[in-house]
Amino acid sequence: MNLFPFNFVKSTLSNIKSNKQLFLLSVATNFIAFTVLGIFSLLFVNLDILLSSWDKHIQLIVYLDDKISNSNKKKIELLFNSNNKINSIIFISRNQAWKNFRGKFYSKSKFVASLKFNPLPDSYTLRFASGPDRLKNIRDFSEKIKNEKGVESVEYGEKWISRFEQFMIFLRGFILTFGVVLFFGMILIISNSIKLSIYSRKDEIDLMTLLGATHQFIKIPLLLEGLLQGVAGALLSLISVKLIHLYIVFRFQGSLESIFRGLEFQYLTNPIIYSVISTGVIIGILGSSSSANQFLDRRNPE
Amino acid sequence: MIKVFNLYKSYGGITPVLMDISFDIQDGEFVLLTGQSGAGKTTLFKVLFGWEKFDRGQILVGGINVGKLNEKNLYQLRRKVGFVFQDYKLLVKKTVFENVAFAQQIVGANMKTVRTKTWNALKNVGLVKKKDSYPSQLSGGEQQRVSIARAIVNDPELILADEPTGNLDSEISKEILALFEKINEQGKTIIIATHSAEILSEKERRHLLLKRGKLLQS
Repeated sequence: MNLFPFNFVKSTLSNIKSNKQLFLLSVATNFIAFTVLGIFSLLFVNLDILLSSWDKHIQLIVYLDDKISNSNKKKIELLFNSNNKINSIIFISRNQAWKNFRGKFYSKSKFVASLKFNPLPDSYTLRFASGPDRLKNIRDFSEKIKNEKGVESVEYGEKWISRFEQFMIFLRGFILTFGVVLFFGMILIISNSIKLSIYSRKDEIDLMTLLGATHQFIKIPLLLEGLLQGVAGALLSLISVKLIHLYIVFRFQGSLESIFRGLEFQYLTNPIIYSVISTGVIIGILGSSSSANQFLDRRNPE
Repeated sequence: MIKVFNLYKSYGGITPVLMDISFDIQDGEFVLLTGQSGAGKTTLFKVLFGWEKFDRGQILVGGINVGKLNEKNLYQLRRKVGFVFQDYKLLVKKTVFENVAFAQQIVGANMKTVRTKTWNALKNVGLVKKKDSYPSQLSGGEQQRVSIARAIVNDPELILADEPTGNLDSEISKEILALFEKINEQGKTIIIATHSAEILSEKERRHLLLKRGKLLQS
């Protein structure tokens, strides 16, 4: 049996054992950083799901002028029919709209009951084909149609959708920036922890080089130690975010159902989980190799 | 085994430590490197071992051009040379057996070889009974014998011993010297840096005499 892999693992475990506190401190710091990032990602994932679900329900309502001419009406209908992204066109006359409206609000509002005339216009409800560009298509078409003669106004909840989208862009940017800052911060933490680990075993490492150890032999246990710090921090953070997710689901089930309208409050997506773990691996290797290289390159000073 | 040509070494380019040193040592020789404290014995050893760099000259150890080695392939030289340190350099948390086996593990030997070679090396230096002791439980002489066992366990062609009896009394020094003679009889080249009177007067041997960084006798 070749001792190489066994020795690396043994040496790594012995390093960790002799610098237990330092190792745990580094894991804890990485865990906190990953957890904070994980919570923001959890928020992002669910808001994104919410936005997508809203996106599916968005329809464009085109309100017509009361005095619209038949030719203009036909022209508008032609525009609807010539757009292949529109799935369905439903015409709702002002009388039908008023009937629907009164049916919904007559018993609930004295004001509605007291109205003696119909204030609602004729309208078209347009449903667009689903796809990633759905909102853009609605936006583009509404821009085109709103200036047509006979069109009073268009409505698809543009203001709040735009605000929500902007918030999502900000959140994505914030998570990315925050992630990059934490990425370098965590590399620094692991690098320093490995540096301290090296200095606490300096005599042993010095002796290794004098006895003919290769750089690889000295470096691999240090890399494994850094790798373990990064991966342990990442895995623990995923567990803690899962616990937070379960807590939110059980504690706020009623509120979530009303906000998410039948959608489930989701845990992190697989790509995010893989990214967290691979980031743990990368920061572990980068942090430890920078310290190990720095130390080994300084060996045998002139 | 060793060829040194016009070797110069200084610290910071100002303080000369070794000046125009040239000598040859054949395979299987037993050589004493002598000189007063500060003559440059330890520095010469460190240079031969690739522990310190030198300014000018050529050094060949077992066919390896020491000046051409970089940090990453220095191990090739160090595996050819067993070094015995004056301060033993034993790992205090490891037993005698583990300290000797450590040198074997570093070169990637398999478990069976580690056990056999470590056992043989300990037998060679007469420390089998102490294999489970820790360095702090050993006398100075015993610690030096562990250091010698560690130096020979990888079967190097050359042993460099820097003041191996420096911290030991004369009786133990003779035992250590006898040990080196035994190793030499097995065909190893031995160079001992010393200014110990016991070692120098023991037997007629080849001397390299250093004085203030210059080789007076080779």
